[in-house]
Amino acid sequence: MLARILSAEFLKIRGKMLWFLAVLGPLGVAGLQGLNYGLRYDYLMNLYQDDPWGGLIRDVSALTLPTLFIGLAILASMAAGIEHQTNAWKQTLALPVPKTAVFAAKALLNVLLLFVSSTLLAVMTIALGATLGFDLGDIPYGDLLQTLYYPFFAALPFMVLQVWLSVTLANQAVPLTVGIIGMIVAMFGSRFDDWVPYKWPHLLNGAGEPLYSVLAGAALGVVLLLAGMAQFARKDVS
Amino acid sequence: MLRLVRSEWMKLRRTVIWIVAAASPLLAGVVGYAGTRGTDGEGAEWMSALALMAALHAMLFLPLLTGVFAALLCRFEHAGGGWKQLLALPVSRTQLFAVKYMYVMFLLLLTQLLFLAALLGVGAALGFQGPVPWLAILRSVGGGWVACLPLAALQLGVSTALPSFAAPLAVNVVLTMPNLLVMNSSTYGPYYPWAQPLLAMIPMEGHGMAAINLSATTLFGVILGSFVVFLTAGWAYFMRKPV
Repeated sequence: MLARILSAEFLKIRGKMLWFLAVLGPLGVAGLQGLNYGLRYDYLMNLYQDDPWGGLIRDVSALTLPTLFIGLAILASMAAGIEHQTNAWKQTLALPVPKTAVFAAKALLNVLLLFVSSTLLAVMTIALGATLGFDLGDIPYGDLLQTLYYPFFAALPFMVLQVWLSVTLANQAVPLTVGIIGMIVAMFGSRFDDWVPYKWPHLLNGAGEPLYSVLAGAALGVVLLLAGMAQFARKDVS
Repeated sequence: MLRLVRSEWMKLRRTVIWIVAAASPLLAGVVGYAGTRGTDGEGAEWMSALALMAALHAMLFLPLLTGVFAALLCRFEHAGGGWKQLLALPVSRTQLFAVKYMYVMFLLLLTQLLFLAALLGVGAALGFQGPVPWLAILRSVGGGWVACLPLAALQLGVSTALPSFAAPLAVNVVLTMPNLLVMNSSTYGPYYPWAQPLLAMIPMEGHGMAAINLSATTLFGVILGSFVVFLTAGWAYFMRKPV
């Protein structure tokens, strides 16, 4: 059931620029760093001479976090906007499908699109390094995948939260403003206590184990998903 | 014209826009309070609070908010054939565009005034010593507003063109994210329109960001130039927009 609703969701987002944005996000991050390296090549190469790949991955990840946070808000809003704009919630929910599955599919759509973005970013980072003439034999694959995928999982609660807000509220100014606030708060997230979810995508915690942040994010993401499904199932359709 | 102003007001007044306008000043106020408390400013407390809050408010929030306001001003028209209805009335497109633009700038002015209130609130709550540096504060708040003129013009143009609420914001984000790199560059920062709100709001002396020690002529040359280009482009598109 969920798979079929999800495939309907993928049909609905055709021609709605969601795929375009999912590609544009990583392309923008890699492109900006490409520009940064192109303009200051000698300076940065000197700075990172011991570990050029490590330096590049750090620079990429510095832009990834805010991009991920605003990207998940925009994608959630655009996906929910399809129904809001055409007043189609009634029609969608009148179909013989459980409301919980409709909500889950919207959330899953957002998660999958962002997963594709994160994967593309890994590929583009390698391509950027190759273009800059880094040694392809030295690519620290473990580091690269950790730096790109761990924050993705740690940000799961925010993906679900934004889908929830975007689906529930008709005026998309609110979820998008919450998303902008989220991006800015998350940029300063490393200063918070460990329990604050905005800190988790930074992968910092008292134990010094990034996996704890990832697990906390995934767990809260699932809890929010279930809560959102329960609330959405009770919601009246206007 | 006055009737257009009134009809836009009716569309706006009972919306969430007022909460949206207060969001960034509130956030800046909280961070300003937490960040300045307990530090020994030695008489420069006002300026360091202003620098901290302006960086938070103007680096990303203010340019992005411009896009949210512009999209909100076009929200009712995009829903259910509103453009057709509105433009079928005997109103001039130029006037309508001008009134919507004025509302975007009015909402930004409101945001800036709330930011001013937040700064004064932080100062009062922490009992800052010394006189309030009114000139520097007003220059920052007013400069940030002026720097939004071109951004608002572009966003209004994009918002009239794209029916989805989030799509114009996505355009805005793509153009604003380079701020994260550009703000550190004294070579490119002064020429990037989306970095201007930040450059205009950070107080001029000290606080070590490279791009700020620039003449007002450069800043306002870039701002004014992009303002004319974006406003003309947005207006020209709107005049031909098929409904």
